[in-house]
Amino acid sequence: MEPRWQYQFRVIMLGDSTVGKSSLLQCYTEGVFLDTVNQTVGVDFYVQFVELEPGLQVKLQFWDTAGQERFRSVTRSYYRNSAGGMLLFDLTNRASFESIRQWHREVTDTIQPFRMVFLLVGHKSDLSGQRRVGQREAEKLAASLGVQYVETSAKDASNVVQAFQMLTVAIYQALQTGQLVATETWDGVKSSVPLPVLPKAQALEKKQKKCSC
Amino acid sequence: MEGREVPLEVLRQRESKWLDMLNNWDKWMAKKHKKIRLRCQKGIPPSLRGRAWQYLSGSKVKLEQNMGKFDELDLLTGDPKWLDVIERDLHRQFPFHEMFVSRGGHGQQDLFRVLKAYTLYRPEEGYCQAQAPIAAVLLMHMPAEQAFWCLVQICEKYLPGYYSEKLEAIQLDGQILFSLLHKVSPVAYKHLSKQKIDPILYMTEWFMCAFSRTLPWSSVLRVWDMFFCEGVKIIFRVGLVLLKHTLGSSDKLKSCQGQYETMERLRALSPKIMQEAFLVQEVRCWGPSAATLGCLWVGGAAPKRLG
Repeated sequence: MEPRWQYQFRVIMLGDSTVGKSSLLQCYTEGVFLDTVNQTVGVDFYVQFVELEPGLQVKLQFWDTAGQERFRSVTRSYYRNSAGGMLLFDLTNRASFESIRQWHREVTDTIQPFRMVFLLVGHKSDLSGQRRVGQREAEKLAASLGVQYVETSAKDASNVVQAFQMLTVAIYQALQTGQLVATETWDGVKSSVPLPVLPKAQALEKKQKKCSC
Repeated sequence: MEGREVPLEVLRQRESKWLDMLNNWDKWMAKKHKKIRLRCQKGIPPSLRGRAWQYLSGSKVKLEQNMGKFDELDLLTGDPKWLDVIERDLHRQFPFHEMFVSRGGHGQQDLFRVLKAYTLYRPEEGYCQAQAPIAAVLLMHMPAEQAFWCLVQICEKYLPGYYSEKLEAIQLDGQILFSLLHKVSPVAYKHLSKQKIDPILYMTEWFMCAFSRTLPWSSVLRVWDMFFCEGVKIIFRVGLVLLKHTLGSSDKLKSCQGQYETMERLRALSPKIMQEAFLVQEVRCWGPSAATLGCLWVGGAAPKRLG
């Protein structure tokens, strides 16, 4: 039986091939780390429940995507129905860090005028000897994109739960402030409780109602 | 495990039949294609499988027409853009298979050579990550040069466009699979439509990797035997059999009401329906094949695609 949930957030995993998107998800949802993970072909799925506050259950639905560029023609259509995006790079792979801006732009361009809540994740922090990206510059990039930054390792499970918690909280807050607006037709956020009705959303809804002649 | 149910005596008989076919291949292809198909359905003897795949796919002829080409490509350096992605995938193909278990071992080296050669052979296509498991399965059955030409045949004749830049062919085949499902299992079709589960979400890996990462190993080999003989329609049939037996009745749907539950079910298919004997039987005795899947197959020696 599935636990009762008040919210369901859909989160999409983004980043170059081999940055560790699937490993991070497997660590988080299954508590395992495998040395070799098959390259994702297409899209994969994971689910995890978190209690954000006492009594506030959130179901996180993850869409894991193939990192290779040519799969974007397939995965791009799933950006819009995601509330959150984990932008992953490999701390030991400079190029994957440099791709982040492009990933960010690709998503924001695709879904505009709508928004997504991002978290920047520097992954494989256990390989400190091979690090090619400094914490300061990653934080700078995060700030310029207006997102939070965290360093994780699926291998030693450090910060994994925290990273997903940060993103979940950020999505929840975006809902509270009206940066994200849940609607019937959008799969990014589903709620089993009435959503806070915001003045802006209300006005928009009224407008839409008027137009449905 | 493979071929476990085939008695040794039968296996020996099959081997000699296959040897006769391979030694008189053109004659058999011209006059007794149906018999070849039947024998592929029964399973190619493991000792001759690699050779048979090369004959069936036409890669043997292709190699003979292009003597020295692979060695030529093998000597070139390759585009670093592709080499980087290929290298990152080398240790991820069948990592528990003895051939690919050691980093930098001969299996991984050959895999690199084959995939690199393809990016030089078709620079406009480069490397697609779904090609790696295909090449790895081939390398388990034949040397690098032969595997290369067999990969070329798969990419160009069997599954054309699957691995190229925009992935348009795989998306189109996803739509075709879905419309075929409408005829084969209206219940499964209705359920997937209702849950808004786009075919691309479950069939991409199935089709692009020709089920090599989905099915148990003995089933993979039997499916590939039929695939090399009959072409992409086998991939469609396997996909339809799996969908029908997973989502094809209201009883089966009880435990996967939501979108995620359905995806989960398709991701972790029941071992029963993937089991070699059951699956091959279902694919062979495909009722509506002529009407439903005939459009995907225009007979003859080489597999052709739609119209």
